[in-house]
Amino acid sequence: MTPIVELRNVTKEYRGIPAVKDVSFTLERGEVHALLGENGAGKSTLTKMIAGVVQPTAGEVLIDGAGVAFASPSEALGRGIAMVYQETSLVPSLTVAQNIYLTDQKRFHRLRGIYIAGQQFLQSLNFQVDPTAMVAALGAGQKQMVEIARAVHHNAQVIIFDEPTATLTPEEKHQFFSLVGRLKRRGVSIIFISHALEEALSIADRITVMRDGEHVVTDVTSAFDREKIVRAMVGRTLSGGYIGSHKDRKVRTAGDKVLSVQNLSMGNLVRNTSFSVFAGQITGVFGLIGSGRTEAAKVVSGVLKRDLFHGGQVRLNGRSVRYRVPRPAVRDGIIYVTEDRKLEGFFETMSIAENIHIAAMAGGRTKSPTVSMREMRTIAEEWIGLLNVKAINADAKVIELSGGNQQKVVVAKALVQKPKLVIFDEPTRGVDVGAIAEIHQLINRLADEGIAVMVISSYLPEVLQLSDRILVCRQGRIVEEFEGNKADDETIMYAAVH
Amino acid sequence: MSSMGRLSQEQIVFGLALLLCAGFALALPGFLTTNNVLNLVRSVSILGILGVAMGLVVIGRGIDLSLVALMAISVAWTLNLIGGGMPIAQAMLIGLAFSLIVGAINGWLVAYAEIPAIFATLAMGTLIYGFGRYFLFSLDVAYMPERANSLLWLGQGTLLGVPVPIFIFAAVCLAGYLFLRYAKSGRYVRAVGDNILAARITGIPVRPIVVQQYVMSALIGYLAGIVTAASVASMNTRLALSTYVYDVILVVVLGGIGLSGGKGGIRNVIVGTLLIGILLNGMTIMDIQYTVQNVVKGALLLTAIVIDTIVNPRDEQTAQQGDI
Repeated sequence: MTPIVELRNVTKEYRGIPAVKDVSFTLERGEVHALLGENGAGKSTLTKMIAGVVQPTAGEVLIDGAGVAFASPSEALGRGIAMVYQETSLVPSLTVAQNIYLTDQKRFHRLRGIYIAGQQFLQSLNFQVDPTAMVAALGAGQKQMVEIARAVHHNAQVIIFDEPTATLTPEEKHQFFSLVGRLKRRGVSIIFISHALEEALSIADRITVMRDGEHVVTDVTSAFDREKIVRAMVGRTLSGGYIGSHKDRKVRTAGDKVLSVQNLSMGNLVRNTSFSVFAGQITGVFGLIGSGRTEAAKVVSGVLKRDLFHGGQVRLNGRSVRYRVPRPAVRDGIIYVTEDRKLEGFFETMSIAENIHIAAMAGGRTKSPTVSMREMRTIAEEWIGLLNVKAINADAKVIELSGGNQQKVVVAKALVQKPKLVIFDEPTRGVDVGAIAEIHQLINRLADEGIAVMVISSYLPEVLQLSDRILVCRQGRIVEEFEGNKADDETIMYAAVH
Repeated sequence: MSSMGRLSQEQIVFGLALLLCAGFALALPGFLTTNNVLNLVRSVSILGILGVAMGLVVIGRGIDLSLVALMAISVAWTLNLIGGGMPIAQAMLIGLAFSLIVGAINGWLVAYAEIPAIFATLAMGTLIYGFGRYFLFSLDVAYMPERANSLLWLGQGTLLGVPVPIFIFAAVCLAGYLFLRYAKSGRYVRAVGDNILAARITGIPVRPIVVQQYVMSALIGYLAGIVTAASVASMNTRLALSTYVYDVILVVVLGGIGLSGGKGGIRNVIVGTLLIGILLNGMTIMDIQYTVQNVVKGALLLTAIVIDTIVNPRDEQTAQQGDI
């Protein structure tokens, strides 16, 4: 049987730099094919060639054995190939049904008509989504369902998911996986790009690993285990990665109480919560999205606007503080490392050196009102070396780096400010496996140096791996505390959801 | 990046300016005379100084539509005060202080009251013009009094055969360049323009920097106003109602300082100033109507932006960071 999608020796170059080099790939009918690799490995580019978003520089794309050259994603959609992106492409101010039928040829729709059709259609897919609901009001998981429904409505034979589970809660993830199963039974072929290896191992029929734009290995899932994939992805075995149990780990003892938060309230996101963070220790905060963990951290560090602040007390080294803007918090040594580096992490028109140096200046490390180019170079070289940022040189623009290296620059920006308390919010989101291990080592090193570290994460293995103490956040409150090497994933998850 | 024929907007505009210059030189006999070139550069100097003021604000992702109105009113007031018998230095200090205070109010409106810069400064421009005409003086045109003739040197004098305004333009450019590159707060301006959220979280004093931006613009604007008054021995406050402020924005945008902030520098202002100066001067010699000149200016701006888009396509794929 001819594969539904076949790529023969495709290459894609951006401005002469190859993102994908001479890769061949097949997608069989009705299979779930996981595409794995570090950031910058070429997974997205490869699938975008299938979906007509970009055109290959060399090589052939075959659909059902026939060569094609899609000029646009809509041409690919016409041939039954749909791509579902990480950021959804739905119109937030329209209803679910309107979104599904948005690109239909008919010029006018009767709303009642599309609501009834939408209801039946969604039910046939077994999706629990109200067709009359406004998309803006839906959660991430439901939005994704609508995107998928739209793809199925367009008779998609091939659906490409780019990091579908990154923004989902565990419950939504579960629903997503059963959905993939249903799509598969309908004969839809699926390509699944992910950073979460367990997910690939549990739902894929076959796995392809890419590295640096090249194909490394393709095989049936049963031929892989976690370690083998990681080795294929990074071309080396990880030290200090996820391999090994967290229970063998020695837990650091608490130093001075650096931060103490009492009865903090903010809107209905943070409700009367209290917690403490100690020097020389990593305090992990686990909570599902919407549990108020990020908001609590942002109040403490002055990032959130003050008018939302309803009450409670924050003490830094015993002194009561209340920051209206981040600057005094930064000056006092509380640094918040954002979960959304594209939005508020770095300056995209500036080089790596300028980014790090401007943080050094803002953190009060340099007192002079003028900029010393030599000092900038020294500080930049120091941190690029310490954090192993991979770039051509310090003058490279941060925006041109891979996700992992961007994150390292964001971390460097924080650490150059000589913090007493660092709050990492999702420190490894959208970061490749190699860089995850490096960032984790770095976080451990900080705690060893006696700095108070708080790590907020919705990725359970990360919390278990790093934390000396684990706080569980639920509905705006810290509800449970565990010792780092005593807890296990089930008890933590239980505390987080009930 | 500039290899393989990839030109920046700055280079394109510079090329256009040279082309235009050559064209005018061939077509217009009066264009390349010493007298005209000096006249051209002198008139361009003031536009260029204002361009630096506007450029600093635009790099910080703002815009100052009150720049010309504030310049006209504060300098006209200064002249009126001198005419009324006040010592020159004292009158200038008062004019300057007025200018800086208005600049600070602009900054406060944008940074602390969080009003979009375009509305805050638009309203401020109108307010200042009306305020000045009603409360400070009553005539449209303020003339340079006899005893302030020493000031005329700033606009009409020469130094080593070169008109003084050109030196002032050069000095302002140098100061602007040094500020953006070597001053901590200059770096902060760029950071705020690039990504205000990141600037905030990094601990940069975002709001004071925004205020500083508008104060600097008012300061440089006042200087430009003094040079203007010295050039023609008067200040016509009707300038505040003209489209002059849009010429300044044209210079800045044409030179390649993106309105989205964070991009560009003083070099862009110089290049934009050159092009506009050559164009306006050539058209004036050709005796082209003022309204037609506006058509040409508008068309030129669009052309520059279109060429920039074709030569430097905004590729969504490469623009998206990270995963390629």
